[in-house]
Order: sequence, then C-alpha cells, then structure tokens
Amino acid sequence: MSTLTLLAPGDEFKPPGLELFDAAPIISGVAWFTKPVLLALLSSVIVIGFCWSAFGNPKLVPRGVQNVGEMGYMFVRDQVARPFLGKDADRWMGLLLSMFFLVWVWNLMGVIPVLQFPVASHIAFPIVLALSVYVLKIYLGVKHQGVIGYFKNMMFPPGLPKPIYVLLAPIELLSNMIIAPFTHAVRLFANMFAGHIILAFFSLVGFWFLFEKLTPLGAPLGVVGVVMTIAMTGFEMFIQFLQAFLFAMLAAMYIGNSLHADH
Amino acid sequence: MAMGILAEVTGSLGSIGYGLAAIGPGIGVGIIFGQGVQAIARQPEAYGLIRQNMLLGFVLTEALALIGLVAPFMFGQ
Amino acid sequence: MPAMSEKKIRPEDDGRDFANAAWSIPSYLLSGMILYGGAGWLLSEWTGVVAFTPIGLILGVALSVYLVYRKYGR
Repeated sequence: MSTLTLLAPGDEFKPPGLELFDAAPIISGVAWFTKPVLLALLSSVIVIGFCWSAFGNPKLVPRGVQNVGEMGYMFVRDQVARPFLGKDADRWMGLLLSMFFLVWVWNLMGVIPVLQFPVASHIAFPIVLALSVYVLKIYLGVKHQGVIGYFKNMMFPPGLPKPIYVLLAPIELLSNMIIAPFTHAVRLFANMFAGHIILAFFSLVGFWFLFEKLTPLGAPLGVVGVVMTIAMTGFEMFIQFLQAFLFAMLAAMYIGNSLHADH
Repeated sequence: MAMGILAEVTGSLGSIGYGLAAIGPGIGVGIIFGQGVQAIARQPEAYGLIRQNMLLGFVLTEALALIGLVAPFMFGQ
Repeated sequence: MPAMSEKKIRPEDDGRDFANAAWSIPSYLLSGMILYGGAGWLLSEWTGVVAFTPIGLILGVALSVYLVYRKYGR
C-alpha cells in the first residue's frame, strides 16, 4: 500500500521514484529498525527454520521438508560448488547453501504480497555479504599461497612480455581488490532495485488509470499496466532466483580462486 | 541560430544517452553468446577455439558499453 | 602459453575457466578505464590540456583488452 499512498494528490500521473526506498522507522524513536531490517531478520529466521526442519533430523528416506531441502542442496552442490571448488566442494557447502537461501529469501520478499520489499534493494545488505566473502577470499588466499605468493599470482599472470607488467599489474590489483567485490554487491543490488521500481511503476500505472482517474482513453493503458505487472512479477521471480544463484556462484568462484594458485 | 527549437528533451540527458548507448552492446553480447552456444552445440570438439573467440568478441563489445558509461563524464557540461 | 593449455585436459576445468573469464572481464575493463582514465583526468587538470582524459580512457580500455586477450584468449 505504501507505493499507492505516496502519490502526489494531483491530476498528473507521477511515476514512482527513489521515495519507494525511504523506509520510516517502525517503532518511533528506534531509527535503525525499519522495514528492510525487519524483513532481513525475518528472512534469517525463515532460512534458519527451513534448514533446521530440513536437515536437523535427517531420515534415510527423505520426506516432506527434507525432500525440498535436499533438492536445494543438490542444486547448490552440483551447479555452484562442484564446478568451482572441485574436491573441496563439501567443505564449503554450509556457507554457500546458507548464502544462496538467504539471498533468495531476501529477494523473494519483493513479490510476497504484503511485505513487497526486496531486502537487497538497500545496498547495505548485499555489501555486508560481499564484504564477508571478500575478507574470506583474502584470508584463504594468504593462507594457501602466502602473502607474497598471493599478490604475485594475482598481479603477475604468467605469459606476458616483461615491460608490460608495469602497466598491467595495477589493473589486476584494482580489478581483484576493489572492482570485483564492488560489482559482486552492486550486481545483486542493482537488479533488485530496478526490479522493484519496474513493478511499482506498472502497478501504479494500472491503479492510476483504472481506479484513480478512470477515463475511456486511459482505461486500455491501465489494462496494459495490470497485464505488465503480472508478466513482470513472473519475470522478477526468475531474476530473483538467478541473482541468488549468481551471488553464490561468484562467492564460490572467489573462494576457489583463492584455494588454487594456478589461476 | 535562426532556426527555432523543434523539440526539446529535458531531465537527465546523461541517463537517456547511456540507455541508448547500451542498446547496441546489449544486442551484441546477446548475439555473441547465443551464436557461441549454438556453435558449441553443433561442434563440441571445437570448444576451445569457439570459447576463445567468444571471449574476445565479448571483451570488445563490453568495452563499448563501458565507454558509453563514461562518455557523459567526458562530454559533460 | 602452451604449457597452460596443455594442463587443461578435464572438460570441467575448461568450464570453470570460461566462467572465471566471463565474470572477470567486466571488472578488468572497468578497472582499466578507471585507473588510466583517472590518471588522464588528473593530468588534464594539472596541465590544462583537456585531451588527456579521453586519451587515458582509450589507453585503459586498450590495455585491459590486451590483458584479457593474453590471459584468457589463447
């Protein structure tokens, strides 16, 4: 409802903008406790509860929730962990699985009817996850390759003519140390941010032209808006799954690159 | 100077420009990976060669998209 | 790099390399542009010659493309 009440009371259609993301404190006086924070806490509880009921008391023949959980586990293991981590895959499954589920539930908050706010569209949330992967990446790289070896493998890939290293080593350093984790967080953030704006825009078009200002000329446009909202919601759900998958995949890629020196 | 203004666009012109500039590389990246996957499906034994050319084409196309991203900063004002 | 390409025998290694390359290419290009474009911008602020910024940007793109080409393209 918040998207609809934000409308300026005028005659002109006003597309939704950044004010969609201004979250007011739920309890007045507690400035940090806003809707995204509440949803993030709720997502954590959902993921913990789901994993607990699925894997807490495993049966040999899986039934019910355990079945669903094992489907997710198999997906993450075969599509995310094994291609990038190889024989180390099972050690990292705990991290990757919980990261995948958490990001997915965060994103799904954007289409669940009453909640309707993708947590990751506030960039602070993806940044925390990306930063923890970044710290883990550097820690593992230094642990497995040594401080000198890690930076040498990173900045001086073999097989280039000697003088050009002066120009290319800074690019490698900047790319691996700053731009890669930055894009890791921003990719998730930007997709959820844009998706939320798109959904809000089309649903507002439908609401405005069918309910607020119903005119013979505007009504078809409103119908188009409603149809597009439905189509885009389906598309958004696909994107949300894809982004959660990509986030976990990139995390596995960074971890794998730190574990094995030959890249 | 004698010409009158026929049409005017106001607002954030840089973002409109980048939106237009991203169309071409978007189509290009789609074509590169689409045709690349098709080529691999047709001739899996040429995977190495196809992969290398796919990456090369992707780099050159992506460079265009990123040049579009910085063009508003270069020709701002 | 004949030694490197000989080492890749298992197909899943190839797939990992490909995903690796495809996902790091944008960040390489972006960092090359930021680094050398930024250097060119600083130079143009210092000397007053505006042309240094586009020259730096193009140089950065060219260097990143060359880096990616040498690292993944062969």
